[in-house]
Amino acid sequence: MTRAPSQWQHRELRGGLQLALQHRSTPELLAARLWIAGGSSLDQRGARGAHQLLAGLLTRGCAQHSAEALADLVEGAGAALRAEAIEDALVISLKCASSDAAQLLPLLLEMVAQPRLEADQLDIERQLNLQSLQRLKEDPFQLCHEALRQQLYGTGPYGHDPLGVEGELSAIQRADLQTLSQDLGRSGAAMVLCGVIPPGTAELLEDHLRLSPWSSAAAGTPLALDHPAAAPGLALHAEDTEQVVLMLGCRVPPLGDRDNLPLRLLQAHLGLGMSSRLFLVMREERGLAYDVGVHMPARRGPTPFIWHLSSTVDRAGEATSVLLDEWQRLLETPLTPEQLALAKAKYRGQEAMGRQTCSQIADRQALLLGFGLGDDAIAEALERIDALDADALLAVARSHLNAPSLSLCGPAEGLKAAEQAYRSHPLMSARP
Amino acid sequence: MGFVLPAAPPAGAITAEAPTTETLSSGSQVVSLELPEAPLICIDLWCKAGSAFESPSENGLAHFLEHMVFKGSERQAAGEFDLNIEALGGSSNAATGFDDVHYHVLVPPEAAAEATELLLDLVLQPRLSGDDFDLERGVVLEELAQSQDQPDELALQTLLQVACNAHPYGRAILGEEAQLLAHTPAAMRRFQQRRYRGAHCVLSLCGALGQARLEPLLAALQHSPLNALEPTGTEPEPAALELTPGLHRRSFARLESARLLMAWSLPPAADRGALAALDLATSLLAEGRRSRLVERLREQLRLVESIDLDLQVLEFGSLALLEAVCDPADIEQVRQEVHAVLEQAIAATPAEQELSRGLSLVCNGYRFGLESAAGVAGVLGNSALWGRPLDLSEPLALLQAVDRGALERAFEQLDPAKACVLEAMPA
Repeated sequence: MTRAPSQWQHRELRGGLQLALQHRSTPELLAARLWIAGGSSLDQRGARGAHQLLAGLLTRGCAQHSAEALADLVEGAGAALRAEAIEDALVISLKCASSDAAQLLPLLLEMVAQPRLEADQLDIERQLNLQSLQRLKEDPFQLCHEALRQQLYGTGPYGHDPLGVEGELSAIQRADLQTLSQDLGRSGAAMVLCGVIPPGTAELLEDHLRLSPWSSAAAGTPLALDHPAAAPGLALHAEDTEQVVLMLGCRVPPLGDRDNLPLRLLQAHLGLGMSSRLFLVMREERGLAYDVGVHMPARRGPTPFIWHLSSTVDRAGEATSVLLDEWQRLLETPLTPEQLALAKAKYRGQEAMGRQTCSQIADRQALLLGFGLGDDAIAEALERIDALDADALLAVARSHLNAPSLSLCGPAEGLKAAEQAYRSHPLMSARP
Repeated sequence: MGFVLPAAPPAGAITAEAPTTETLSSGSQVVSLELPEAPLICIDLWCKAGSAFESPSENGLAHFLEHMVFKGSERQAAGEFDLNIEALGGSSNAATGFDDVHYHVLVPPEAAAEATELLLDLVLQPRLSGDDFDLERGVVLEELAQSQDQPDELALQTLLQVACNAHPYGRAILGEEAQLLAHTPAAMRRFQQRRYRGAHCVLSLCGALGQARLEPLLAALQHSPLNALEPTGTEPEPAALELTPGLHRRSFARLESARLLMAWSLPPAADRGALAALDLATSLLAEGRRSRLVERLREQLRLVESIDLDLQVLEFGSLALLEAVCDPADIEQVRQEVHAVLEQAIAATPAEQELSRGLSLVCNGYRFGLESAAGVAGVLGNSALWGRPLDLSEPLALLQAVDRGALERAFEQLDPAKACVLEAMPA
């Protein structure tokens, strides 16, 4: 018998920080997440990459701990600590032996309340981020995705990689980061702990906040972000590669929206597992690609819904046609009862897949709190899918998937064939 | 004499229960472990059928066969297995390495028996039909093309090629295009029948099985394809790896940053004590901001974007692989500084605090990897396959037993003079 995990316990700590805890009995470890709403979507134009730069700097010294001392504390305990900016949040993650929790957990609060932001550490972190941006250009999937990101989000809050933009990253000053750090938590924050949580951990954090206050708004507080409308179309990026990378996608409603769940079922139907529609058509029936899938991350705002694959140059035109055929089919043909049942089984299966480790559980709970959704959001979704039928999915597809953009990266010859297939496809000619 | 290790995590039991093992009359082993909190069962079938067992003309067949397995058996049509597993709320995948291949399924506990039956049928009785063969060859060629578009992967493959000479570890697991085009279903069948044999296979089952599920499942295995496998033959094993030291430089198209790559030849997987010391040594050198290479090259000199040193535990000779990402103009300085750090490690053993840090990182890294049913099933399946102990706390005990002499020998094995070095430069 699977032993059921315990339920979440919630409390509000001094200064407004929401704390959620879930005990699991084995093994003797703890995963912690400090979710701070905002992330790269709050980067100002001219300073894109600032939140990721700040996140990296938070791990490079806080309160009385220099960068070296902080690393000694964490690595000396064999723990893993990282901080990163994603589009909707700055997230600090810690994984450690439970016996080290009392020593290490308060560091997360010190990192946000008393970051040192030392100039030499800023130089290192900035240089590392610039080098990462440079290296990402080696990956044709990254290049293709970047072009599609521009098509979907332009210069809006989701229009850049959280790592930033080269020219702007170089110009960010320490004072800019000090200002950002002072605002951390004002848009909402939550701390999530999962695993073997030593008794008195909440009190330990409370005591720490009493001595070193840190204020934060409730997690899930709405963010007023303006996302400019997408401009659907075709983006071509010439690159001397073996394959052409194809990404076809659009923006869909976010996780909290009622239409998101039917879209997640479509994602499961199209791209989840080796029985998925795109895998069967593109790979098993035609051998057009090795890896094919649907990318639909959880976002608070307009969410990307992206089909992706790569195919050799001489088959790029065919791959484009078939991919567009499949998109059109989604707008015209309801799922069969068998396809719908399979999509629902996969969605349910994903729920169990997502709670295999304390880190997965903590990540998911932090995201739910950060998005203003309750503990029962997953259970509610599992109940709701029973009532969704093929017509409902078709209606949602027609409502949100009617203007996809295509991004292509590869050799000119392949791009030409793919562009031709794109321009002559009925899905494109039907567009007003 | 062992070190005094005040801060090292204790080498106690990692799971509440000990794994059990059973050997079928075919010679195949079945390992199982109860994990009461795991939401899914992992069924992991391991086989000594990695690319190291290919002849040169068979290069790529082990991996291609892994693809073909999913095209069905006499009993299951192409795609039927995936459909059944995913309709149960599960997932499946496979991976081919140098030494072995494994096929794993994650399913809810109530589906464990059905999924086990389907997996054994699929993997051990594959159809390997000609039509599917041609289509799937196209998919493998797409996979090869996709990997060739990643210049860092090409650079690593080049290093292995120049370092390992004619040893199978120097050949690409995916194979090369010309070889893939020359393969036939008959040749694949011969490879399959040669390698997928009784004592070459281990089935690992981990999760919330419970006796009520496990007992009938184990009983059913007596009549399964796993117990109908042919006994193993007398095929010669691959030779021990002998790496050729040297310095090479190559240009790679589309590489944006230079890579300094280094490879060392290390003891085989069976020498667990020596590899525990090497695990500690590589951690001291390159795990975390305060490790020697990271601190010197990234934090102090700011010469590299990243520097990693990984231990690849392999049956016929393990490898240590170093990768430093840097500006092309700095590559020679990076190589000199790496040499200096490694030579310093040979000259002076670390202080106690540094050792304690390294041990904590290695021990916790191992423990963290055993959190999911898939992680545990993988370790147990692989250990049973290669005749290593099934005690999950044994690696921790080996680490605790590392003494100064063993650590010194580990650093000596990472002597830069013994490395094969590749400077991968942007074209």
